[in-house]
Amino acid sequence: MSNVKIQVSDLHKSFGSNNVLKGIDLDIAEGEVVCVIGPSGSGKSTLLRCLNKLEDITSGKVVVDGFDVTDPKVDINEVRRHVGMVFQHFNLFPHMSVAENIMLAPVELKKMNRTEARAKALELLERVGLKEKADARPSSLSGGQKQRVAIARALAMAPGIMLFDEATSALDPEMVGEVLQVIKELADSGMTMVLVTHEMGFAREVADRVVFMADGVVCEQGKPEDLFGNPQQARTQDFLSKVL
Amino acid sequence: MENTKTAPRPRLLTRWIAALAIGMLALVAGAPASLAQGSDSVEGKTFVIGTDTTFAPFEFRQDGELTGIDMDILNTIAEEEGFKVEVRSLGFSAALAALSANQVDGVIAGMSITDERKKIYDFSEPYFESGVQMAVAKNNEDIKGYEDLKGKTVVAKTGSEGETYAKSIAGKYGFQVKSLDQSATMYESVKSGSAVAVFDDYPVLAYGIAQGNGLKTVTDKVPGGSYGFAVNKGENTALLAAFNDGLAKMKANGEYQKILDKYLADPAAAAPSNFFDLVAKSFPALMTGLWHTLVVTAASFAIAMVLGLLFGFFKISSNIVLRGIATTFINIFRGTPLLLWAFMFYFGLPQLLGVGISVWTAGILTLSLNAGAYVAEIVRGGIQSVDPGQLEASRSLGLGYGKSMQKVVIPQAFKMMTPSLINQLIISLKDSSLLLAIGFTELLYQGQQIYAANFRVTETLLIVGFIYFIAIMALTKLANYADKRFNK
Ligand SMILES: Nc1ncnc2c1ncn2[C@@H]1O[C@H](COP(=O)(O)OP(=O)(O)OP(=O)(O)O)[C@@H](O)[C@H]1O
Ligand SMILES: [Mg+2]
Repeated sequence: MSNVKIQVSDLHKSFGSNNVLKGIDLDIAEGEVVCVIGPSGSGKSTLLRCLNKLEDITSGKVVVDGFDVTDPKVDINEVRRHVGMVFQHFNLFPHMSVAENIMLAPVELKKMNRTEARAKALELLERVGLKEKADARPSSLSGGQKQRVAIARALAMAPGIMLFDEATSALDPEMVGEVLQVIKELADSGMTMVLVTHEMGFAREVADRVVFMADGVVCEQGKPEDLFGNPQQARTQDFLSKVL
Repeated sequence: MENTKTAPRPRLLTRWIAALAIGMLALVAGAPASLAQGSDSVEGKTFVIGTDTTFAPFEFRQDGELTGIDMDILNTIAEEEGFKVEVRSLGFSAALAALSANQVDGVIAGMSITDERKKIYDFSEPYFESGVQMAVAKNNEDIKGYEDLKGKTVVAKTGSEGETYAKSIAGKYGFQVKSLDQSATMYESVKSGSAVAVFDDYPVLAYGIAQGNGLKTVTDKVPGGSYGFAVNKGENTALLAAFNDGLAKMKANGEYQKILDKYLADPAAAAPSNFFDLVAKSFPALMTGLWHTLVVTAASFAIAMVLGLLFGFFKISSNIVLRGIATTFINIFRGTPLLLWAFMFYFGLPQLLGVGISVWTAGILTLSLNAGAYVAEIVRGGIQSVDPGQLEASRSLGLGYGKSMQKVVIPQAFKMMTPSLINQLIISLKDSSLLLAIGFTELLYQGQQIYAANFRVTETLLIVGFIYFIAIMALTKLANYADKRFNK
């Protein structure tokens, strides 16, 4: 492992009296693809959202792309430009066209003028196979298409890290493949990625490392073939027996 | 005559209102009444005089112009004594309240000189001797005197001498007295049969009958009080002296009698002959009223949008102080009647600030703060109805909170808010009619002025209602069109 891109040490997160994350340690290297699996409510989404501070961190340290996210003086908007995020429910902006969704950040953050941003948007749409939908409204797209647009949008600021929170869970089964294909191409391109997923087959195929979370801690982690083929912990075995 | 009650004394307003008023100071840009006080000469000065709206033949509007005995006397004296007057027809109680608040210099409003009033105001020499008379519907042959009133209901004007007199004999003759606020509505209730007779000042009755109000007098007049011009006690002494001087000259040279004859002996029939004549005659005044209604609504709603956005955002803020401020603002203005604030701003605030406030300023303050409270709730609801995932998606792209709100959340919230905002705009337009209580010359006020002079209450109200209806329909169509255009 070369450069450490994400460094999480002793991360705690609680909502009121509900301790959701109870001391997470996790280092992710540049170009590494990490899949996070685990039972519902184990804190997978919360962990992901702590990485770009969509959740305030209760204690511990999170360093992303060289930025200490827990430092109150850090410009979190700057950090977020280095981290793309894809949500389960797409969260496309319904009042903008597909291209405008993608152009919003580059234009508003003055990274590009509108012409450049549009060219970049079309390029990204081409990459996810949706160039012809540039001027469509998100509402006219299928679920799979929406998620591909959301991925293109997350890529617009050319982030070095991509976070996916169950990107295929809200999709009809026949659309899962097209989205996984896009994610896989991203993984192959060398992007550092953290994916929360229920798609065990996909995790096995794409991940460099699989992290199994339970009850707010990392219970077990390892190469996909080890974790899926020969889980050490009883909890992991139990979980895998239910989902595989 | 009229109110024997004292007008509200804003001096008694409590402390918290003062605090509130100071908060609103920034919004106040009122033109003070030209209050010339305690000077020696009146010559060349302009005085602001308050009067009633609906007291024909003393003051009423004819073809949009304020006219009547009071107006003619006032104008003749002003000319004679070399001063100018700016007349505000506010309504009787409002005129007295305005006098107490120093919003006007004097009041001439067919007001009886009473001991009660003398404690607060200085009166001129009496300029009219009045008296109470009873009238019934023209076709009523049953009521010929007080004896025929047994078991029946009569009407009289709230706080008037007619009321006092009617009540004083009600026990003896066994009838009920119901009090109403305006001459025109009293006559309507006699015509419609909900009361059999009306007790009113004889000049007012005589004038109404001459205008074809459908009544006739059946008793002799009971001599009553005399009318006087009033200023605040100890203030405007020069104005009062000039009034007395001018009045004496008028009486001596016959001008005075000419004015009385003009309105009482042989009043010209002002009432239009038919409905279309009424529409034609009242149209210019009603259009002025509509214009004022639209302008005050538009100005108020624009301010309400700013206030609503501000307090709507405060309301969803994570800062407890801002939330508290917004909640307080919303609760105060939603939890109190609009009319209360109209009175407060027009009569109370000038007293607290020591500067006059124009009726426009008071009207816009009232409407905009009231609508602002509702708009704040609409804004809060609209923003909260936007999926929180939208803000998260925008923030995750690195856009700040403000930018995310501006580009992502608010456009979607506005789309959802539009129907409620249109609704609130229409409510504000209708609510603006309440401002007639402080003499704001909006549409319904103009209607009142018209029927106060010609007694065609139902038809005038129908016309006014029709104009409101058309205006609101047009506004709704326009708003919906704009909504479709910009919120596709
Ligand atoms: N904003 C919040 N406020 C309060 N509690 C929350 C909040 N977000 C999450 N939680 C709680 O934190 C715990 C972990 O939630 P999280 O969404 O991280 O789980 P997850 O592992 O992603 O589950 P799933 O597989 O169902 O998505 C749950 O008990 C949840 O109720
Ligand atoms: Mg989750």
